Amino acid sequence: MHRRPTITRRSLLKSSAAAAGAVLAGVRHAPVFAADSEASAKDGAVVIDCHAHLCHHSQADYREKDLLLIEAADKLGIDKLCCSILTPRRPATPEGFRECNGWLAEAIEQFPGRVLGYCYVNPGHTSEALDEIRRSIEERGFMGVKLYNEHVCTEPVVFPVVELAIELRVPILHHAGRIHHPFPEQPNISDGGDLAELGRRYPEARIICAHVGGGGDWEWTIKALRHAPNIYLDTSGSVVDDDMIGLAASTLGTDRLLFGCDMSMTAGIGKIRAADLEEADKQKILGGNMTRLLAMRNGT
Amino acid sequence: MILDMNAYLGHFAFRRLRYNTADALLRLMDSKGIDRAVVSSAGAITYRNVQPGNEDLFASVKPHRDRLIPFAVVNPFYAGWEDDLNVCHEEFGMKGLRIYPKWHNYALTDSCLGDMVSAATERKMPISVPLRVEDYRQRSWLVDVPDVPLSEIAELLPRHPEARFILLNGAGFIGSPLAREGEQLPANYWIEISRLSALLANEIGQLVAKLGADRVVFGTGMPFQYPDPALVKLEVLDIPEEVKEKIRWQNAAALVGENG
Repeated sequence: MHRRPTITRRSLLKSSAAAAGAVLAGVRHAPVFAADSEASAKDGAVVIDCHAHLCHHSQADYREKDLLLIEAADKLGIDKLCCSILTPRRPATPEGFRECNGWLAEAIEQFPGRVLGYCYVNPGHTSEALDEIRRSIEERGFMGVKLYNEHVCTEPVVFPVVELAIELRVPILHHAGRIHHPFPEQPNISDGGDLAELGRRYPEARIICAHVGGGGDWEWTIKALRHAPNIYLDTSGSVVDDDMIGLAASTLGTDRLLFGCDMSMTAGIGKIRAADLEEADKQKILGGNMTRLLAMRNGT
Repeated sequence: MILDMNAYLGHFAFRRLRYNTADALLRLMDSKGIDRAVVSSAGAITYRNVQPGNEDLFASVKPHRDRLIPFAVVNPFYAGWEDDLNVCHEEFGMKGLRIYPKWHNYALTDSCLGDMVSAATERKMPISVPLRVEDYRQRSWLVDVPDVPLSEIAELLPRHPEARFILLNGAGFIGSPLAREGEQLPANYWIEISRLSALLANEIGQLVAKLGADRVVFGTGMPFQYPDPALVKLEVLDIPEEVKEKIRWQNAAALVGENG
């Protein structure tokens, strides 16, 4: 089912002029993926996009758009996509988030091993949210929980969700952003400081701060997370500012960074390729760290 | 050959830029396989009097004119802009302009801008318009500068059919007047790719189809932005090699009059 990727794992990892040179020379598929796959099979390397979305089925062309995402992942050498489906309007109702998670369960079956699922809930509906998370993780094989902006993550209403995620040993991907101006579109958005506070309250939790490149002042976010060792940072978002990944790596360490695109596909890949990091560190960011988070569920 | 239409030198008021000297930028370009770049002063974005930014740029690129192509930042509402334009073109040999209507607080319909566009066009200088400098969501608490709306660009274009506008750091063209079927806009604008998608919605491919292969140019936003995302777009774009070559450098070279 995998097409040969245009971006190979090797060219993805190396920010050298050689890759550009290969393209300039008209070599579209420079090193073949098969060779890379053999290498990655040996060292267990895998590329996991920690932040992706499938379409809500109210969009008439959701099938085509979802297939385009899989196709884009094929082209870029992304092995797995950790997806959620969000309701078009928020706050989400229980019916709304259940419907989204039902569609995602179908997609997980349709693209086995390729699409992984975050169970999206609105923690304001406590019992429905907890039931939905338990059912999705235990019965449908979802890998995590997705929280958006219905509540700031430090509100007590969020705590039962965090406690259940700890019990089920799954990570929470939490929408976040630091905007220095009033942000009436998202009055309850959490920022890195809020997530750090939540992390201190629940040191056993594994929480992913979403899209450092899609949520405002990324330097602020990175610095706010410095002393929150159980908060991971997702590198996704459309913003590709120079040194974003470098500052994140030097401030947080590469063990806490998770590669993501959040549908900004070339931005996601390009940032990691550009970062001045050792290949081993890039491997961790691209998939090694997420592999560790996914293994929590199995008790390893 | 790759020619980057969207690069900068100097300091920016709200964030440290690495690779913001000529030597450092050239090292970065070498490491990425980028041959030439159009550069302007990052400092002039927030200077009241922009001309010292142009002077600094001139001094920086002087030893590297084979690779760095200077564009002048001009504010048509500041005293003496005609003199500045004259110096930048005739003494400094600058090849085009960059304008910042939102940062410099004027409307694209103001008559002063019209005078400046006419003056630049007489000199055969293209005018580039960064539709944003940084993502709006990360703006400092000190400023509240919005992006330049595409609707305002669409009003500007027909006023100056002989001018050549290069739209930098833009997105969302599909569905806007600039790429909508049936719009009667003159073909006097070019679109740079650094914020456009090459996958999923594939805005670059759609623009090539709607506007033609001659109207899209490569750009990275260095050193504000990592250059690699734009390079990856070129790699994954599903278009003929001859179209990619136009985007990589040929269209930009024709705009700056350096197509060899």
